[in-house]
Parts: sequence; C-alpha cells; structure tokens
Amino acid sequence: MQQIDMEHDVSFIGALEEKLEQDGPFSPWSLFKMAYDAELTTVTKEFNGLRALEFLPHMDFLPHQIDTAKQVIEEMHGRAILADEVGLGKTIEAGLILKEYMIRGLVNKVLIIVPASLVNQWVKELNEKFYIPAAAYRKNYSWDQYDILVTSIDTAKRSPHREAILDIHYDFILIDEAHKIKNHNTKNYAFVRALKKKYCLLLTATPVQNQLIEIFNLVSILKPGHLGNYESFLEQYGRDRKRINQDVYLKQLVQKVMVRNTRKETSLDQAKRHIETVWLDFTPEEYEVYNELDRSFQPFASFSKITFLRELCSSREACYLSLQKFINDEENQGREILQPIVEKIGQLPHHAKAQKVVELMKEIGDEKVIIFTEYRASQLYLQWYLQQHGITSVPFRGGFKRGKKDWMKQLFKDKAQVLIATEAGGEGINLQFCNYMINYDLPWNPMRLEQRIGRIHRYGQEKDVHIYNFAIRNTLEEHIMKLLYEKIVLFEKVIGHLDDILAELNIDSFENEVKSIMNGSSSTGEIKIKLDNLAAVIQSIQEKSMQEERNYGNI
Amino acid sequence: MAISNLNTFLQEYFSAHHCEILSNHDGILQIQLNEKMDRALMNRPFYWHYIKKMGRDGDPMQLTLITNQEQTEVKGERIHFGSPRLQQILRHLRDNERFTRLFQVVNTNNNTALHPWLVVNMKLSYIGKHNKDEVFSIGLNLINGMMKIDMMEFLQQQDFQMQISDYCYTITPLIKPISGYKRILTVINQYINDQDHKWAKDSLEALQNEIELLKHFYEDSPEEEREQMDKELADLKERYHPKIRVSVINGGIFYMEQM
Repeated sequence: MQQIDMEHDVSFIGALEEKLEQDGPFSPWSLFKMAYDAELTTVTKEFNGLRALEFLPHMDFLPHQIDTAKQVIEEMHGRAILADEVGLGKTIEAGLILKEYMIRGLVNKVLIIVPASLVNQWVKELNEKFYIPAAAYRKNYSWDQYDILVTSIDTAKRSPHREAILDIHYDFILIDEAHKIKNHNTKNYAFVRALKKKYCLLLTATPVQNQLIEIFNLVSILKPGHLGNYESFLEQYGRDRKRINQDVYLKQLVQKVMVRNTRKETSLDQAKRHIETVWLDFTPEEYEVYNELDRSFQPFASFSKITFLRELCSSREACYLSLQKFINDEENQGREILQPIVEKIGQLPHHAKAQKVVELMKEIGDEKVIIFTEYRASQLYLQWYLQQHGITSVPFRGGFKRGKKDWMKQLFKDKAQVLIATEAGGEGINLQFCNYMINYDLPWNPMRLEQRIGRIHRYGQEKDVHIYNFAIRNTLEEHIMKLLYEKIVLFEKVIGHLDDILAELNIDSFENEVKSIMNGSSSTGEIKIKLDNLAAVIQSIQEKSMQEERNYGNI
Repeated sequence: MAISNLNTFLQEYFSAHHCEILSNHDGILQIQLNEKMDRALMNRPFYWHYIKKMGRDGDPMQLTLITNQEQTEVKGERIHFGSPRLQQILRHLRDNERFTRLFQVVNTNNNTALHPWLVVNMKLSYIGKHNKDEVFSIGLNLINGMMKIDMMEFLQQQDFQMQISDYCYTITPLIKPISGYKRILTVINQYINDQDHKWAKDSLEALQNEIELLKHFYEDSPEEEREQMDKELADLKERYHPKIRVSVINGGIFYMEQM
C-alpha cells in the first residue's frame, strides 16, 4: 500500500562492512544468540492484549483496572478520560497504560501534570510500582533533557517553561484532577489544548460537576469535534447536566472517550466499611455555655452564630479564638454580650469529644488511626491532649509544603500512632496502611466525608476499615447527623451516585445550603423541617438516577 | 528462541562475559562480576574513575539475582521480565551484540571450504492505531545467492567460534555484503507489499474520521485558531498514520560448510 510510510534501518550494513574491514570487534556466538533471543522475548506479537502484565508480576491488578487499560489502548487508541470513583485506582490504570505504550516502543517523551501536592507521590508510584523512571521537575532541569517529567500545571504554564514545553512533541500526556481544567475560558485550559501530544489521559472523579459543557471541554482536549463544536453543542444540550442521562446518543458518544468504574460494579467492596455513629453528651457546664451562646445571639449576623456554635462542638479553643477575634474587632456589635461567654469558655473542662477520642483509642489498641477535624485550633488541642495521654500524633494540613506532607506521612507510617488532619489536607494522601478513622467533626457536605473515607478505603486496603463519626446530642451536630447523614442512608453502603446527586444540586453550594438553612431558621424545629426537606430531595434524585442508570448504564 | 528460563539465560549471559558463577541453586544466582561488567551494570563511574587514578585494580561487585519469586528470605535482587535489572541487561545485549563474524566449528583432517553467509535478523514494526512486531532471520549465501529464512533456528543447531577451525579455509564472497543486504531488503519489501494490510486500512479510516470531526469542530472558527487545528491534525497523523519500521536487530558474516 502506497499510503504506508516506510522507515528503514540505513546504518546497519555500512557499520558491518566497516567492522569487517577493521577485523572487529565482533560478538561471540553465545552473546549474538542471546541478543536475538532477547528481542524475540520482548517483541509485540499481537495487535491486541496487554504485554505489560508479564512485566509487572509483583502487581495485583484488579479486573476493572486491566479492562480499563485494554479498552483505552485498543478501543480509544490512547486518548481517554479515566473517571473512576475516588479510590478505585485511576493512578494504577494510568500507570498500566503508560507502561504498555513504553513496552511497545510507542512512547518515550512523557509529561505528567498533577496537583503540586501529588507530584512526589506520582513519581514514587510510577517508579516503584511500574518501574517507569519518572522524575519530578526541578528548577535546574531543562524540559527536553528528561524523558518522563512530573510537574504541576502552575509550573508548566509559567514562562519560560510554557514555551519550552509547547515546543516539545510529547508522546504521552497525563493530567490528573482534570476537572480543574474544565473551563474553556481559562489559561490552564488554553495551555493544555496547545500541547503537542500523541496519547493523552485525563483523570478525574467528577467529569461533570455542574454543566454539561464541562464534559464537552474535556472531550475537546482529546478529540476535538467528537461532540460537535461549541456552538452546536450548547444549542443542542444547553448547560443542563441532566441531559446527559436523557440523551442516549450523547451518552454513547461520551462513553467512547471515557471510562468510569464505580465501586458498586467493581470488586473493591472486599474491604468492608464499618461505620459507627458515636453519640456524645456535653457536660452540664458545656451545655450551659452552648445554650447561652445559642440564645444570646439575636443582635449579630447569624452567620457568625452558626460558626461559633459549630466551633464549640469541636473544641473550646476553636470557639474561643474566633470569639476573641470577633470581640477585638471594634466594628462588631454586641461584643459586650459575648465577653462573659468567652470567659466561661476559658473555664470549661476538657472537651467531651477529646475525652471520647482517648477512650476510643484504648479500645482500638495499637492500630494506626487517622482523625479528621474541621478546625486547626482543634487539631492543635487534640495533639496536645493526646500527648498528655501518651499517644503520639502528627499533624497534617493542606497548607503544608510538599516535602512536609511526605515527611508527615512517613512519620505517621513509621513512628506515630495517630495522624490528625484538617479538611484541606485530605486530597491526594493515600493511607492504605491505616484502617481506622475518627471523624472528630462531620463536614456539612457528604461528598467531603466520602473523600475522607476514600483516603483509607481505596485500592490497596486489605483490611476492613472502621469509621467512627462523632456527634454531640442536642446540638447542631445532631441535626447534621440525623438528617443529612442517617436519612440519606449514606452509611449503609457506598453510594455510587453521590457525586452525581450532589452535582445536580450544585455541589459547590451544598454546604452553603445547609448553612443558610441553619441561619435562616428561628427555631430548632424549623431547622429540622428544612433539613428534612433537603434530605427528601436528595433521596428522590437518588432514586431517580438509580432508575436512569438501570436504563442507560452508568456514564 | 524466546527466553523461557530466565535463570539459565542469566547464567549464560554472565559466563559469556567471563564472570565467575559463585553459585546457582533454587533460583538464586550468585555472580562475581569482572571490571568490564561492573562498569556496564553497576552504575558507579566515579568509583572506577578514582580507583584508576590511584593506579589500583578495584573490586568488582558481586550480584545475587533471584529468579524464584518464592525465595523471600534471601538477600538479593529479585529479577523478572520488566524489572529494571533485566531491562538493563537486555539493553546491554541489544547495544553491544549487533555485529559478528563467526566460523563453523568443523572437526576434520581434510581441507574444507567454508562458504560466507550474510545473516540479518530484522524486526518489522507495524505502527498504526494498533501496533505489532514481526521478526525475520534471513541468511544469504554470498557465493551462490541462495537465500534461507528462519536462519537463526538453523544456525542454532550448529556450533560457531571466533576463529576458523584447523584444515578449513574461507571462500571470498562473490556477492558483496552490501549487495546481499539489498537483496534481502528486496525480499522483505516484497513480503510487505504482498500483505493486504487491513490494519493500515483501518488506521487510515480512523484517521479520516478523526480529521472530519476535527474540521467540523473548527468549521466556524476564526482564522487564528487554524494554527491550533493544524497542530491537532499533525497530532492525529502521528497517532494514526500507518507506518512500517524495518530495523536490524543484529547480523554478520557466518562461514559454513556447504550444506
């Protein structure tokens, strides 16, 4: 066929003649044979199948991970969105795909763009699990010098890196947490579109968060035109994300470039979740202060009230600090009413939750435990309190630098029994070696709880995981627990639709929704009714979407 | 033949490089490297640089390679297909064992003529939306032009050495190696032309589909986005346009008794 490009080895015969003229050096028969045998061993005999599996005998891949890698290579020709739910091993799938291309000799030059906090983890996993010699980009490297570099988008898109990177023809580009580039008006998006690439993987657990145009934008990085052009897409599908389930044709198109595995369909449920709600009572002194704070709040912005009450449910310190800050600001009204309360808080005994943590730790024994709290002040207090009881712990926060995060994780693994993390620290740390979690206070967004649990209940977890959710009776926490969590039956089983449902309700505003219910209600009864309604809405969407999924298959 | 027993393969590899095999049992191979192999495999150029500067011999390292994955107690390197060490060894073979000139071992008291053969081991890589490789071993008699396929399989039944055996003499080629090589390429090209290349048709079809999608995407776009489109067109061709790469694994001149 004339259209096939031919590439011939042009150097061999000349080099051989030269050797003959110079009388060597030549290979002995044994080594010559071995070189040939080695080639026979490493050639790719079939168009289909995964060769990488023979090369990675130390890895136990899950069936869905192997299927995904095959599908991406054989059917999607190396350009795909990997959209598994959190914790099913998107990194593993991506590593397997990259390895396969490298073994087949199709990929040399690789760029891996991940959040800054995950750079080291990616480098480590690629090297240790896949023997892929990836390196983290460092200041004195040049982009064309190393074949496989891992970096953050903020580094990559900055001059002079940007120009250097856009100059290179990459064989393989991978973008983790790709939902962060879903907006086509951003510089990040334009940068990614401009990359010269052969194969490309986009990794995200939430391919569609709000609007259907987001999936259009992600697909357009991989296969421009696959979903039509921008105008025609908007016209046909609008901005409504629900349309994706209604339009079977669109759904099929998307499935050609996207793989999504859910926990429900995979065998990950082997490590079970045991979730227990731990109900606590404040001491009478604590209830007194809590109720006083609750009652005395009429003159202030109600937003503060909710925050203060929530903080008091976490620790004296958290509440004390923000009350103090409020009082110190002379523009605030009602500072004189709060002053006595602040003093009372200072007198309170140790927090009921902290005491419960120590009690629980005795039951758990020597196991590693991760504790999540919403507040830094509570984090510090807990660390101190645990230390008083001879329990070693390390803190973990989103604000830590990369190196410090790695160091803390290592300390937790090797030295300390407990890791105390604040919310922002959660993303991207993998702690499969730990299977106990205490949610010291609950986030007001069930999705965030799912992300927390995903830190330990994920690929690689071999034991059952135990989750303890703390809630104090007769406080805000009781409403959140009873209405938001128990009612939606979130704890019964991992709910695959959770992110879909929340996206439908607009995930970003979910927490604000709860806050505004709390704020806008004048009585506990009113809070209850409103939250009840919210829970009912979620429940109905959930049922509906399960129905849709039965009809169309999961997208 | 493809490597089936890794342990045997490794032992032969190190023996061929004149390294002492200290022990080999239960899938645990212990080798005393020599300087050449230490330099090739152990990645410590500074050590050798300074040792030589001081005029010393240096101590090549020992290697323990474990092919039996059930041996968990023994200290050493676990080696298997895909492990960095084996990749390194295979690369070392590929880079260093490209050319040879060998003489058949002949036990004889009579004057015996050895015919020169050009032997070329080639890899054909079919690259399109999917890819695969094919290996050919071809021999060409440089006296009479006779060509043989599966040459390595044939050669493996004989023994060869770097020096010519006693009472043997070589016949000077009538066909120059470069002409022989061209004949081999002609056959390979014929072989390629004779195939129906469904894979290439599929790839071109996929390419065409993708190009149409792409054009549709940029249909109403302003001129300045054309550059972006051209880049994406180039990316597509790189990924789908069918290509056959013919590369030589290794080869050389073999002197053999007339068959």
